[in-house]
Amino acid sequence: MSNGFDGNTSLQPLPVSSGPSVVLRAEGLTKVYPAVAGAALGEVELFRGLDLTVHAGEMVAIVGDSGAGKSSLLHLLAALDKPTAGEVWCGESRLSTFTPKQAAEFRNREVGYVWQFHYLLPEFTALENIAMPLLARGMGRAAALEKAAFWLNEVGLSARGQHRSGELSGGEQQRISLARALVTEPEILLADEPTGDLDTRTGVAVFELIQGLHQAHGLTSILVTHNLDFAARCGRMLRLRQGRLEEQKNL
Amino acid sequence: MRFELFIAARYLRAKRRQAVVGVITAISVIGVAAGVAALIIALAITNGMRRDLQERLLGSTAHVDLMRVAADGMKDWRPLLERLRKVPHVTAAAPGLYGQVLISHGVRSGGGLIKGVLPEDEKTVGDLLQKIVEGSADALEPVSDAAAAQGLPAIVIGKDMAEDIGVRVGDSVMVTSPQGDLTPLGLVPKYQKYLVVGIFRSGFYQYDSSYAFMRLKDAQRLFSEPDLISVISFKVDDLYKADQVAKVIEQEAGKGFQTTSWMEQNRELFRALKLEQIVTFIVLALIVCVAALNILIALTMMVMEKTKDIAVLMSFGVTEEQVRRIFLLQGLLISVIGTALGLVVGYGASWAGGHYRFPLDAAVYSIDYLPFAPRAWDAVVVAAVSLGVSLVATIYPSSSAAKVLPAEALRYE
Repeated sequence: MSNGFDGNTSLQPLPVSSGPSVVLRAEGLTKVYPAVAGAALGEVELFRGLDLTVHAGEMVAIVGDSGAGKSSLLHLLAALDKPTAGEVWCGESRLSTFTPKQAAEFRNREVGYVWQFHYLLPEFTALENIAMPLLARGMGRAAALEKAAFWLNEVGLSARGQHRSGELSGGEQQRISLARALVTEPEILLADEPTGDLDTRTGVAVFELIQGLHQAHGLTSILVTHNLDFAARCGRMLRLRQGRLEEQKNL
Repeated sequence: MRFELFIAARYLRAKRRQAVVGVITAISVIGVAAGVAALIIALAITNGMRRDLQERLLGSTAHVDLMRVAADGMKDWRPLLERLRKVPHVTAAAPGLYGQVLISHGVRSGGGLIKGVLPEDEKTVGDLLQKIVEGSADALEPVSDAAAAQGLPAIVIGKDMAEDIGVRVGDSVMVTSPQGDLTPLGLVPKYQKYLVVGIFRSGFYQYDSSYAFMRLKDAQRLFSEPDLISVISFKVDDLYKADQVAKVIEQEAGKGFQTTSWMEQNRELFRALKLEQIVTFIVLALIVCVAALNILIALTMMVMEKTKDIAVLMSFGVTEEQVRRIFLLQGLLISVIGTALGLVVGYGASWAGGHYRFPLDAAVYSIDYLPFAPRAWDAVVVAAVSLGVSLVATIYPSSSAAKVLPAEALRYE
């Protein structure tokens, strides 16, 4: 994988495998939120020594109870946060060595992130929202909007390009958010409960859209969800319980 | 930078979720505009005052005066005068003889400075003789000795002096010179009666209360200095080069001569005006500072309102530096709009003030209208100050925007 960074390369060479290459690897990952001074809340340990390996083209579902640390794990995989200990590798890049600028570039080029809530910028049209990551990397407006239009079509909303988020339904907003995550053509899609804010029918439609795009564009996807049906339809399901990731083979 | 400007401009235009942020933004723009307009108008007035003062002052006095270092006067002055008239940049030259006198009328008297002149030459270097408000200066024209012997010699005095000693055109005054005749009883002051033929008013108390003109010959007779002058006055083609031309004149005149330019003579006056202008600038620049404080408040509130959006921007790869620039540009946009508005209003008001002439009481201000002289350079300085102060105001909010941690900001949403 080409990530375009000058950051440190791996301390240990990745294992040579005849199967699909490893895209994401977490080793001994620990996340502890320190105690807040003056608050009754003490130190919170979400997980300790967590390992995860995701291969190219996999669609992995992570399930678990609320507060288990699923979203925090996704933040670490997206370089949105730093682990207390352990390391995340993306190809040969060690995420913990990234400068803030390198982390931003990683998020812009390697990862597409979908939140539970759409988080579209209300001042901009749907098309502009989708084009935003491309504009941020310096692409010209016309080229960015052209590419955004392609992804708007991919999520089935080509007629809604000039609408602002307030003029779209919840499902449409989440589709736009998905198009925004994929417009940079990342290798990895991270989705944090993307259907959690939607009704059942819309949730199914959005999940199927993710599944379809995953296959059509050869993505490596990690999906955090509470919906076990959706999780079962992913190629692989992991349960985050008591700070450990357990492979779920038989539901 | 295009991306940051795109976001900043849209944020500025968009309807705010918190109306108060929009109100403070509008107040910031108006504040900057008011400060800039006030600065431009104030500078236009001080420039106008300075220009008016300078014009009147330079109209009344010569640009360069040449004198003897020993103050012993110039005897063979005609060839020197002709030679100095040919110095480059000299446009006119006139001889003069100065002397301190006491001018009295009845029981009232006042000290004065007599200048003996050749009116035709004097009018080319100073316009006091053209500012006659009563009578005429024609009587100062040279006449034959025979004609001069008949009747009283003529004198033209300033308006304030005329009022001080209570004379009008047609009255006679007694002029007493301390450079009198040496007698066995000692030095006896010389005195002579003169006929007031004209009263001038320059608008400068210094001149109007002490200056008096008479024929050069009459002055030489009064001061017992036959065919002697004390000064040669010059006008030059570029008054800001008066210092340089003065040096050339001094060199051309030779040893024993010294020159003073209008700049040297009035240095303190113009220094005081400059100081006044600087103080005015500083005081009015405080308005811009208050407006910049509004920018700081508006941007800080905007950053608080947009924390979630900033986190989202960062989640898809917008760098901290880009976030910083977005809010920095937003502050600058407020400032640029306010500054542009202020410049338009300021120059518009200055133009209107100059065109329609705001009346002043001439008796109090010695000028009957408020002079406006807006300069293009002021716009550059004022705009630079306004943008600079606003830029400082954006530092804190833009830095705090860049410090948003996306995972933290969105964790509890």
